[in-house]
Amino acid sequence: MNFEAVIGLEIHVEMQTRSKMFSRAPVTYKALPNSAVVPLDLAHPGTMPVVNEQAVINAIHVCSALHLTIDKTLHFDRKNYFYADLPKGFQITQHRRPIGSEGYLDIPLASGTHRVRIERLHIEEDTAMQHHFGEMSLVDYNRAGIPLMEIVTYPDFQTGEQAASFVETIRQIVSFTRVSSGRLEEGSLRCDVNISVRPIGEKAFGTKVEIKNLNSIANVQRAIEFEMLRQERLLLSGQRVQQETRRFDETKRETILMRVKTDAVDYKYFPEPNLVPIELSEAFIEQAIASRLELASHKRERYLTIFGLSEYDAGLLTKDVDIASYFDRCAALGNSYKLYANWILQDTMSVLNKTQASIVDFPIQPERLVALVALIESGDVSNKQAKELFEKLQTSDAQPRALAESLSMLQISDPVLIQKEIDAILAANPQSIVDFKEGKDRAVGFLIGQMMKKTGGKLNPGLTNKLLLETLKRQ
Amino acid sequence: MKHILDGTLVSIHEALVRQDITPLELTQEALRRAKANDDNAFELLLEADALAFAQTLTTPEPANLLWGIPYALKDNFSTKGIETTAGSDILKGYVPLYDAAVVERLQHAKAILIGKTTLDELAMGGTGMTGHKGVQTNPYDPTHTRQIGGSSSGSAVAVSAGIVPFALGSDTGDSVRKPASYAGLVGFKPTWGRISRYGLFPFAPSLDHVAYFTRSVEDAEILLSVLAGQDQRDATTLTTVFEPSKTLPTSPRLAVLKPVLDSIKNPTILKAFETSIEGLKHAGFTLDVVDFPLTLLQAIYPTYMTISCAEATSNNANLDGIKFGPGYEGKTYQDVMMQARTNGFSELIKRRFVIGSFVLMRENQDVLFLRAQKVRHQIVNALQTIYQTYDGIYLPAAPTVAPLFKNSSDRLSHEYLIADSHLALGNFAGLPSMTIPLGFEGSLPFGVNLMTRAFEDDRCLAMGKTIESVIGLRNLIAPLGAST
Amino acid sequence: MKKVTKDVLVDASTRLLFTMTDEQYTVLLDEFSILIRQMELIGQIPGVDDVPPMTFPFTALSHGLQPDEPVTPLTQEEVTRNAAHVVDGQIKLPKVVG
Repeated sequence: MNFEAVIGLEIHVEMQTRSKMFSRAPVTYKALPNSAVVPLDLAHPGTMPVVNEQAVINAIHVCSALHLTIDKTLHFDRKNYFYADLPKGFQITQHRRPIGSEGYLDIPLASGTHRVRIERLHIEEDTAMQHHFGEMSLVDYNRAGIPLMEIVTYPDFQTGEQAASFVETIRQIVSFTRVSSGRLEEGSLRCDVNISVRPIGEKAFGTKVEIKNLNSIANVQRAIEFEMLRQERLLLSGQRVQQETRRFDETKRETILMRVKTDAVDYKYFPEPNLVPIELSEAFIEQAIASRLELASHKRERYLTIFGLSEYDAGLLTKDVDIASYFDRCAALGNSYKLYANWILQDTMSVLNKTQASIVDFPIQPERLVALVALIESGDVSNKQAKELFEKLQTSDAQPRALAESLSMLQISDPVLIQKEIDAILAANPQSIVDFKEGKDRAVGFLIGQMMKKTGGKLNPGLTNKLLLETLKRQ
Repeated sequence: MKHILDGTLVSIHEALVRQDITPLELTQEALRRAKANDDNAFELLLEADALAFAQTLTTPEPANLLWGIPYALKDNFSTKGIETTAGSDILKGYVPLYDAAVVERLQHAKAILIGKTTLDELAMGGTGMTGHKGVQTNPYDPTHTRQIGGSSSGSAVAVSAGIVPFALGSDTGDSVRKPASYAGLVGFKPTWGRISRYGLFPFAPSLDHVAYFTRSVEDAEILLSVLAGQDQRDATTLTTVFEPSKTLPTSPRLAVLKPVLDSIKNPTILKAFETSIEGLKHAGFTLDVVDFPLTLLQAIYPTYMTISCAEATSNNANLDGIKFGPGYEGKTYQDVMMQARTNGFSELIKRRFVIGSFVLMRENQDVLFLRAQKVRHQIVNALQTIYQTYDGIYLPAAPTVAPLFKNSSDRLSHEYLIADSHLALGNFAGLPSMTIPLGFEGSLPFGVNLMTRAFEDDRCLAMGKTIESVIGLRNLIAPLGAST
Repeated sequence: MKKVTKDVLVDASTRLLFTMTDEQYTVLLDEFSILIRQMELIGQIPGVDDVPPMTFPFTALSHGLQPDEPVTPLTQEEVTRNAAHVVDGQIKLPKVVG
């Protein structure tokens, strides 16, 4: 019997706004515990939520990228339950009226694109964090109230590869719109998987298992692939799949039971009575959509068609929003697009990978990189010299041309000056002319070598070679 | 010989401006009276802070009507650095980190807070019998066998006993306007959203209002000018500005709801009510007895219970002994929370929370919570029909004078209690509503209530002044309350 | 609608994280019978379901969205000041499992 998997994803995106979803506490990461908290985040009696405008704009950015219908009125509900990380005893969310509904996302696969239907996108708030130490748990409320977007897909996935591609595409969307840093490893992007299997051709769904706490896109794929097999084996051996919540063990590469799922919890949803519904004007929504930053997919399109980059380079440049941004700034200052791409993807990335730093903090910013490439393009420096400059520019504030000058690097590309050198070297080596006429190729190399030695390697090699040959032919 | 503190805000203010008395002297007298009073009005007296602040007020501000005036605040308003327990043990020792919006405004106006007043626990009661400091009694009753109503009981005592000329409370179903009737006071609840609820511990946010007691309608108008206003921290505050009316509406028309009137049997109250109607007609008002769907009036009480208990249960889920309030040791976090909530809440509150939780359950929402919200909608629609023709609804505030404790209970009742629950119409629809003293049965006061259209707080106050002058009862202080 | 029995009420109060005595449950059962009866009568009002549920008395007046401007947060001391159990500037609970 052959089985197919039916998979749906729930993705939470932590927004990098300046303040929280319903309070004005600052949004910070990696700060001292309980240093980014105001009374509302602690659920002090009498405190009240107020909706963060930027969080709504961010949600609209992503809704537009996912082709979701946007609800013009903002409604919020309370989701009531008790938990150690939930200070109010309820979470403010959007249950009945999500801001976005019924959209889709086309994701790239080896076999072509695959369309995934998206059921909803809604806005809610994050919970506090718990740190476990021995017999106690310590609660840090810095995260409590940070804005979250929840994206729920229809169960349109059949494989781990598709799910991984979807999560990667979402990561690109949220990072390129600068709505979120989008990192599973850091928890700013969280992916829960709902998966069941059934015999191919069977209409009824199998029992759904939930997989949580996946900390990388690769693990999303691995977890799904393991779980598909696990469920198949159970069914083939005559057992039943239990409704469970499982996690993924990275080392064993297996899903592990966390808890059995009993009846669905009743959250007693009702409208948040401290937030009157907010009408979003047409102008507001249009402005939010128009101000959305360029998506990775659109950048790639532009890089291919307008800048003539390869798919490979375009793909690499758009893996990270800061790198793409850096490239865009270069492309706005000059038009040596291929060279910019090379210098970024090879030389710059090589340094950044070693130091684990961000291109945002890289000492050579677009203005100076473009100037450096211009020196190469104009023949003022050789590639070898450029690499040396690149190294030195990382610890110097100097402009490339000034630095090259101070290092006596600039090439001689003036034909008159080169001709002078040629004339001088031929005069000193008349035998070479004879050798050349007799067809001995070595003569040219020898002459060029001598000229380079004499000028400290500053002659423009291409031009020197051309002029020397012309001169020799005239002899 | 009357003391200046026995006056209305306006007369006290004039005395301060003339420098007949200082804020310090006023505050000292208010504190003396507070300590002498035996109706259990205060959770906490802020003697040192009040005197210290009063001493700094040396130059009268003629344009600032609240300058140097002592007042009291129901203990469900957040006061920075001052313990606030909302009448419940679950918040024992809780010291807020911020001031409520109204506290900020009154501080800015240089009014002097002398103490936090007692209330029914978490504002969820109507008898003054359920707060953790015990029962509040009525200053008009020297035998101490009668309620002053609730939940803003301590604030009602503070003003009717002459301790302070005004005190703040909260009104979710009638919690200022009903005690005002039992205490011979003006009790005003403005339009929903008119006064910021930032810092008011919530009972049922869609029904909660900041409200207050004064001894004249003029004082109520002055207070609204100071307290009203949009607040960025409360997303339900109105964007429109309150301006006191310069003139009375010409030929105001008032409606008396027939089923409510018919359900009132007390002859003294009915007679006083009729007399006031005659007086208002002479003053140019039109008054008609009009119909109103009986089924909707009968639905008020269960609808109010359903909606308010549901919202309250959710609001008070933050009280878990973890972030604040008495904490406990336990094996699990549920254990810790369970001890805090079992020990901290009274039995009445627990019963209300179970009701609130039940009506929100998935299987029950349709026929309980959602249906109650639909009834609310029907009620608001029916009221809007009345207001197409009438500028106000005019009714006795309560069917009786202050009830005896032995006849009082906070348990759900079999009876429809229309006359007892009609004030909640003003909470369902968020309408401005004011209780004004109407008369006495023996030595016990009773009041009348005017409820006007949403946002027409100015007209409510303007018409209220006429009603007050027609009735002729103003600035009442319980005879024994102002004693030495 | 769920039928109201003592077990249902015990379950509800347990989920609300408090316990009640037997006498209190008896009083509560009585209150429920009153409330349910009254709500049933309401259910019989003709046209009662003809309108949508209303949460707010009116909705035209929201001043809407707040600009994304952070304020000065509390200090760690202020955050933990009212808590009964504090360790390392955080609020302490028994180890949370599950």
